[in-house]
Amino acid sequence: MRLVELIRLALARLAVSRLRAALTMLGIIIGVASVIALVAVGQGATSGITSQLEALGTNLLTINPGATTTGLVRGAAGSATTLTTDDAAAIGQLEGVAALAPEARTQQVVVAGSQNTTTQIVGTTADYAHVRNFDLWQGSFLTSAAVQAGLRVAVLGATTADDLGLGASAVGSTISIDGLPFTVVGILQPKGGVGFVSQDDQILVPIATVEKYFTGSDSVRTIDVSVASADQMTDVTNAITAELRTRHELAAADADDFSITNQAQLLSTVGNVTAILTALLAGIASISLVVGGIGIMNIMLVSVRERTREIGIRKAIGARSSDILLQFLVEAMTLSIIGGLVGTALGILVSAGIDAVAGWPLVINPTTLVLAVGFSGAVGIIFGVWPARQAAVLDPIAALRYE
Amino acid sequence: MTAPARGDEPWYGAGRDLAPAVPIVEINRASRVYRMGEVEVPALVEADLRVEEGEFVAVVGPSGSGKSTLMNLIGCLDRPTSGEVRLGGTSVADLDDDGLARVRSRFVGFIFQAYNLLPRTTALENVAAPLLYQGIGRGERLARARATLERLGLGDRVGHQPSELSGGQQQRVAVARALVTDPPLILADEPTGNLDSHSGAEVMALLRELHRSGRTIVLITHDADVATTATRQVHIRDGRLVA
Ligand SMILES: Nc1ncnc2c1ncn2[C@@H]1O[C@H](COP(=O)(O)OP(=O)(O)OP(=O)(O)O)[C@@H](O)[C@H]1O
Ligand SMILES: [Mg+2]
Repeated sequence: MRLVELIRLALARLAVSRLRAALTMLGIIIGVASVIALVAVGQGATSGITSQLEALGTNLLTINPGATTTGLVRGAAGSATTLTTDDAAAIGQLEGVAALAPEARTQQVVVAGSQNTTTQIVGTTADYAHVRNFDLWQGSFLTSAAVQAGLRVAVLGATTADDLGLGASAVGSTISIDGLPFTVVGILQPKGGVGFVSQDDQILVPIATVEKYFTGSDSVRTIDVSVASADQMTDVTNAITAELRTRHELAAADADDFSITNQAQLLSTVGNVTAILTALLAGIASISLVVGGIGIMNIMLVSVRERTREIGIRKAIGARSSDILLQFLVEAMTLSIIGGLVGTALGILVSAGIDAVAGWPLVINPTTLVLAVGFSGAVGIIFGVWPARQAAVLDPIAALRYE
Repeated sequence: MTAPARGDEPWYGAGRDLAPAVPIVEINRASRVYRMGEVEVPALVEADLRVEEGEFVAVVGPSGSGKSTLMNLIGCLDRPTSGEVRLGGTSVADLDDDGLARVRSRFVGFIFQAYNLLPRTTALENVAAPLLYQGIGRGERLARARATLERLGLGDRVGHQPSELSGGQQQRVAVARALVTDPPLILADEPTGNLDSHSGAEVMALLRELHRSGRTIVLITHDADVATTATRQVHIRDGRLVA
């Protein structure tokens, strides 16, 4: 029998019991839609996060203290306080270092008029805006003079300014950080978050100010280094390593008491992590495809039983067992493939919605679509073949007698 | 996925050209024993029967005598436990299950007591269904089905489903379905069993007409009156054919 005839039979049958067909497809629809949505959102998130990371700054090296491996135990990055402002100054002298921004952080209560909030106070240098690709919205950035002198001046992140109810006119006004008056010199443009950390909820002040008024320590949390050109990344990394080992008086056998992260490495790590997460979620979602397949098998078995007489009639008027087998198999596949197509459409809609809310690009991989529809077809075959066989092997006389 | 075309030359063709030398149905000492656990039920015992082309034979017997069992053997819905069934000169024993399906498709047209139309399917699609299994395209299928229904006076009922037809109309649709493939042999098992006397007479008149136009018919009935329509009667009692 030709495939078109089989499909026509299947569609005619599904038209007779539309509600049942729709409910049977639901499992496949949900399964395919969730696989497609999860993969698409995963890929959208990857490309969104990647472009945000790229926005952090190009040719960026990040130096963190104390991520050492002692035996098998790796200390948390930043748990030690081995980097100092003097280290930063020394690194600034190295060949190939275009700009440098150390960070010292402290959490403080900030008050502006009647508004208050608790936020990160980031002590840094004038190069910070350049190294981290921040643009100013109002006013000016920290000047080298202010940084040198450790003045009480502050540049507000966009979210922080919002939280404090400060607009463009706030430049020049005074806010209080931990009870001390600071002059607002500028407000940054919003940048969006990397992962769950907002770069817009912070206040930038000269690094010496943080030491002088808040922490009393010259240790820094992070040193961001902008390398002059991409092909100097390795050289500069090696130079920084050598410089810091000398300054920290480490013996040849000692491990580094700092770590240097390359932006490119970070990007590929993020890519790997999201790919693994996506595969994991898609794997979980595909379980619902299997459940959907079992639903199809269940309905097909019921259908074979209900239509025993029809099968007997068809055999009496000349159908071979293989004709019956194909009829029921194509029926199961029609259910699962239509379910797959509807699920694909739904999955694309859902991922478009999620990506729109999250601000990620909609990434639909054609191979995912082909796989999803192919997989649902396969589910139809796998779970349809047994019921179809039950139908095909029915004895025509017994089937004709069946009430 | 296209099934291999069922060849155009019928496998029984050689035999038919030589008719009446080769009978269209020939049953030699055929038995059918149903096994129900330990018990063996002999439904048909060493039956001998010859039906020549163009004959109208009635098989008459009381309920449970083995009439349907005999028809199932002739119609290739079943195989004998022992003995031989030959159709158009070919022994059924030589055919595999697909071969039997092919005989049902090309050689036999069935009419059942219970009509056995496909439910929720129009009269037209019901009559066209046997042609599907001959691999005939949809256009020709529907045209032939329509022509057959019109010939049986059902031209205005083509779009009706079985549930929208009277018993007599349903049985006439079933007759159309048996005729649409133009089979050499029509097998009718109690075709009037579910009908009132008027519709029953109509169906019998139809069978008589088919016989007049040269078709071979085997009619199964428990009704002696109905059997008189046939040109020859064969009696069956307790699974044994008696002349
Ligand atoms: N599948 C079966 N299993 C066991 N016994 C069977 C089976 N089919 C038929 N029989 C038995 O075989 C005998 C003949 O049955 P058959 O159906 O041929 O009778 P029949 O002459 O057609 O009767 P009716 O006029 O009531 O249709 C009966 O005794 C019946 O019980
Ligand atoms: Mg019977």
